[in-house]
Amino acid sequence: MTAKSGDPVSPTADASTPSTPSKSTQRVPAPESPQAIQTRFRVIAAFWAVIIFLGFPIWWQTTSIYRAHLPIQEMVDWADGKTCRPVYPLEIQVVAPSLQLPESQHLLRTTQHTLDDLNEFAAHHLRLKLTNDTNGSPARAGNDGTDTSDSNSEDAPDVALTVHVRPEEGLLAPRSELQPHTTQLDVFYPPSQIPSPSTSNPPLSIFIAQELQRLYGEEKATIAHILSGETTGLDSASPELTESISRRLRRSMKYAETYHLSFSLFTPGSAPSSWDIEGAVQEYLAPLLDAFSPISNFTIDTQVQLYATFSPMTPAPVYDEVEAAWTLKKEDLSAFINAAEWPLNPSIGSGPTLNFILYVPDPSQSPMIVKENRASSWIVPQWGGVFLLNPPLAQGQTSNPVYLEQDSLQSAFKTFSHQLLTLLGTPSTPSSLPLRLQTLIRVRAASLLLSASSTMGSLARLTESLPSIPIPANVASSVSTTLSHLSATCSHLREGRFNAALASARVAENEAERSFFEKTMVGQVYFPDEHKVAVYLPLLGPIGVPLVVGLMKEVKRLVAAWKARKRV
Amino acid sequence: MAVDRRMIGVFGVAFVLRLLLICLFPSLPDLLTGRVEVSTPVNSFKRLQEGLYLYTRNVSPYDGGVFHQAPLLLPLFSLLPDIHSNPVPTAIFYFIVDLVNAYALVTISESGQSIQSRLHSAVRKHIQWDGVSVAAWFLFNPFTIATCLARSTSVFTTSGILFAVSNAVGGNSVNAMLALGFASYLSLYPALLFIPLVLVCYDRHLQYSNKSSKAVGYVLQHAAILAASVVGLLALSYLITGNFWEFISATYGFHLLVPDLTPNVGLWWYFFIEMFDSFREFFIGVFWLHLASYVGGLTARLRRQPLFVIASLLGVFAIFKPYPSISDASLYFAMLPLYRHLFPLMRYTFFAVSAILYSSLLGPAFYHLWIYAGSGNANFFYAITLVWSLGLSILLADSIFSALHDEWEQDHPDEQGVEVKQV
Repeated sequence: MTAKSGDPVSPTADASTPSTPSKSTQRVPAPESPQAIQTRFRVIAAFWAVIIFLGFPIWWQTTSIYRAHLPIQEMVDWADGKTCRPVYPLEIQVVAPSLQLPESQHLLRTTQHTLDDLNEFAAHHLRLKLTNDTNGSPARAGNDGTDTSDSNSEDAPDVALTVHVRPEEGLLAPRSELQPHTTQLDVFYPPSQIPSPSTSNPPLSIFIAQELQRLYGEEKATIAHILSGETTGLDSASPELTESISRRLRRSMKYAETYHLSFSLFTPGSAPSSWDIEGAVQEYLAPLLDAFSPISNFTIDTQVQLYATFSPMTPAPVYDEVEAAWTLKKEDLSAFINAAEWPLNPSIGSGPTLNFILYVPDPSQSPMIVKENRASSWIVPQWGGVFLLNPPLAQGQTSNPVYLEQDSLQSAFKTFSHQLLTLLGTPSTPSSLPLRLQTLIRVRAASLLLSASSTMGSLARLTESLPSIPIPANVASSVSTTLSHLSATCSHLREGRFNAALASARVAENEAERSFFEKTMVGQVYFPDEHKVAVYLPLLGPIGVPLVVGLMKEVKRLVAAWKARKRV
Repeated sequence: MAVDRRMIGVFGVAFVLRLLLICLFPSLPDLLTGRVEVSTPVNSFKRLQEGLYLYTRNVSPYDGGVFHQAPLLLPLFSLLPDIHSNPVPTAIFYFIVDLVNAYALVTISESGQSIQSRLHSAVRKHIQWDGVSVAAWFLFNPFTIATCLARSTSVFTTSGILFAVSNAVGGNSVNAMLALGFASYLSLYPALLFIPLVLVCYDRHLQYSNKSSKAVGYVLQHAAILAASVVGLLALSYLITGNFWEFISATYGFHLLVPDLTPNVGLWWYFFIEMFDSFREFFIGVFWLHLASYVGGLTARLRRQPLFVIASLLGVFAIFKPYPSISDASLYFAMLPLYRHLFPLMRYTFFAVSAILYSSLLGPAFYHLWIYAGSGNANFFYAITLVWSLGLSILLADSIFSALHDEWEQDHPDEQGVEVKQV
C-alpha cells in the first residue's frame, strides 16, 4: 500500500487534474480526483483489514465458549439410579468349635434359611459363613472393630460380625451376649439343644437368626430410609423406630470430609483460666477419632474465654431449694449460648465446625443443672454440645480452681464423645461401638453414593439447559473421576467391602462437588444472549456505523465502476 | 546547527526554573510523584524505587507485582545516588533529559520537514515558529514541568520517540530505528509509529539522495533494524533479570492485559472496572485494536505528510492508550507547534483549550473529592477525564482537519481562502 502511493506527483501537476472550475461553477465543488478516491479506498481498506485480520480472530478467541464433552447419558443414569442398585451383603462368621462339622453346617443352613425368611429388605442381607479358625477371628476383630478387613486380602469382603456359639451348662434357653468393644456376639446354648441334622427348624437357629435380625434392625431401617428418599422406610419398621431414625438424621451434621472440632471453656469469672485440654483430648477423644478415621478427618482447636456472661435476654438460673442447685429451664436452653458475644467462630476452613462448650458456672451459682431432668449437658442439633461442669469447691473456698485437671474433665469429655457420635449420625443400637461405626460406614457410603449421583444428574441437567456456560477441561476430568469412583463404590458394596466402598464414595463426592461448583462455570451462568447486545452495542455500535457505511459506499462505487466498464 | 544565544537562554531559563521549583518547594516532586494524573503504574517513580530496592538486594524486581517497567532502567538508576538522602542529582538528571528532548525538537523543527517534504508543501509557509520557540513551548509547558519534577519514566520514552523523529528527518534512518526500538522497548506502544516513521525516512531518502530504492525492500530493511534493536535490548534485559518470561509478563503483559485499574486520565480504567469479567479479554482486544487501527487509516489518508501522522498518532496515544498520563499529552503538545502554519485553519481552538484547561484544573479537585474528602465518587473523576479526552480529541480532530484542508488548498490553488463548510 505504501509503495504504490509513492509515485511522485508534484503539487502543480496534481492540481491540474480536476476539471478547472469556471466562474459559473464556483459553487459546485470540484469533482474528486482519482487520487482522492483511491486514498479513500485505502483508508477504508486499512480499517477493515485491522477488523478482519485482527478483530475477528480476537473476538473468536476471547468469546468462544469451551465446552468439554461430558458423558451426559451416563450421568443421568447414575442420578436416576439405573446404573447401580446399592446392595449390602454383610458377611457374618459363625464359629462353633464345640459342634461337629455336619452339625454346625446344618445349624448354619437352617439359620440362614430363617434369616432369609425374616428379611424383607432385599438390598440388605446377612450371609453366614462357617469358620473353623477359632482363635483368629476374635483377635482379628480386636478393639479396632471398624477395620476388620485389615488382615483380609483385598478382594475378600469385610467381616461384619463373628458369632461364637458356645455350650453352657445350666441354661434353659439360649442366650446371647454382645461384647461392647469388639465385633463379637457370643451365643450360649444349653448342651441339650444341639441341633440334630434331622430337625428342620431347631430353636437355636431361630434364636440366632432373631438375634442377628435385632442387631441389624436399625441399620436396615436407616439404609432403607436413605435409599427410598426419606419418604417411606421399611414397612415393618415400627413408627417409633422410623421416627427415631429421622430424628437422628435431622440432628446429625451433613457429611463432610473434614470436621473442625472446637472445644471452648467458658466461665463468667476469672477462674478456671486454664485446663488440661491437650491431655483430655489425647486421653478421651483421640481413640474415638482414630476409629472414625475411615469416615472423616478431624481438626481440633480450643479456646478459653473468661468473663463470659449470658446475654441479657437469657433468663437467669433460679435457685431450687429441693435440688439444692441452680437450675435452668429446659425451654431456656436454646438461649443459653450467647451467640452475639461468645467468640464461637462459625467456620474454620472449608468444613463444618462442631462446637463443644464446657461451661463452668460462677461459684455463687454452682452447682448448675437443668431443672427438669437434673442433666448437666445437652446437644444443640447440627451445631454441637454443651456441658455444665460444676467443679467441687474446696472447703471454705469461694472461687473455682484456677486449673482444671484432666480427671475433672473426664465426665465432660465422655459426654462430648457421646454428643460427637450423635452429631455425626451414629446409630444408637447395637451397644457395641465397633458395630455402630460399621453401620455408620455403610450408611455414609449409601448417602454419599446417592448425593454424588444426584450431583452428577444436576450437573448434566445444568449443562443441558444452559448451552452458553463453558465447561472447562477440569470439570470433565472431575466428572470422569466421579463416575469411575461411583462404579467402584457400587462394586465394592456388592462384594461387601464397605470400607473400600466408603473410600471410593468419598472421592466421588469430593470430585462431584468440585465439578459442580467450578468457579469459571458459574461466572457466565447469569449471562443470557440478550445481554450480549447490551455489552457489544454501546461501544461497537458507534465505532461500527461509520465503518460499515463507508464500506457500503465504497462497495457501491466499485460495483458502479465495474458495471460502467462492462457497458463500455 | 549553530548553538545560538537564544537557545542557550531558553534552555538555561528552563533549567533554572526547574531547579528553583525543587529548591523553593522541596516537597513538590514527591507530591507530583503521587498524583494519578502524572504517575501511572507503568511510569511511576515510586514503583521504580521499589523495583530498584529489590534489584539492589538481588531479588527479582518483579516480585511483589509493583514494578512494571523495563529492567534496563534499573542499572541506570542504581548508578544515581540515593534518592532519599540526595534527591538533587536524580532531579538534575531528569532536567537534562528534558533539555535533550527539547534539543531533539529543535532539530526536528529546523529540518523544515513539517512544512515542506517530498510530497507536500504547506500553503502558509510564512507562518511558522523557529526551533527555539518550539523548544520553549515544550520546556515551559506546565505538563512537561510536572512530568519532569515527578521523575516519571515516560520521559525516556519521549526521548526515544523524539530522537527517532529527529534522526528520521535528519536522514539518519538507522539511528531513527534504534531510537524507536528503545522507545518501544520501554513502553511497547511506540512500535505502532514504525510505519509513518519509516515513511518519513523513505521520503527523506528519496528527496536528498539520487539512489532510488524499492519501497518494500526499504521498509523490510528498517523493520529488521527495529526488530534487531528490540531483540538486543530484550537480550540485555534477560542478562539483568535472569528470568525472561517473568519480566515479559510483568512489563509487556502488564501493558497488554491492563490488570491494574488504578485511576488515571485515560478511558480504560473505568470501563474495565465496570466490564463483565467474561468480556474483559475481548474488550481489551477491542481497545488495543482501536488504538492500532488509526495507524493504517491515518497513514493512508495523510500519506503526503508522514511526520504529521506521527504527531497525530501521539495525540491518539495520549487519549486512548491503556495507562496515559499528562506526559503523553505534553509530548503531543510538543509536536503540535511544528504545525504552526495550520493554526489559522483550526476552528475549535478556543473550545479545545478551554476544555483542557477546565479539566486540568478540576481534575485534581474532583480526585480529591472522591478519594480524600469522600464527598464525591469515581464518576466525578471519570467525568473529568472524559472532558480531558474530549478536549484532546477536539484538538486532534481539528488539527487533522486543518492538515487535510491545507492539502486540499495545495491541490486547488485557485480556491485558497474559500470558507469551508462541513457537510
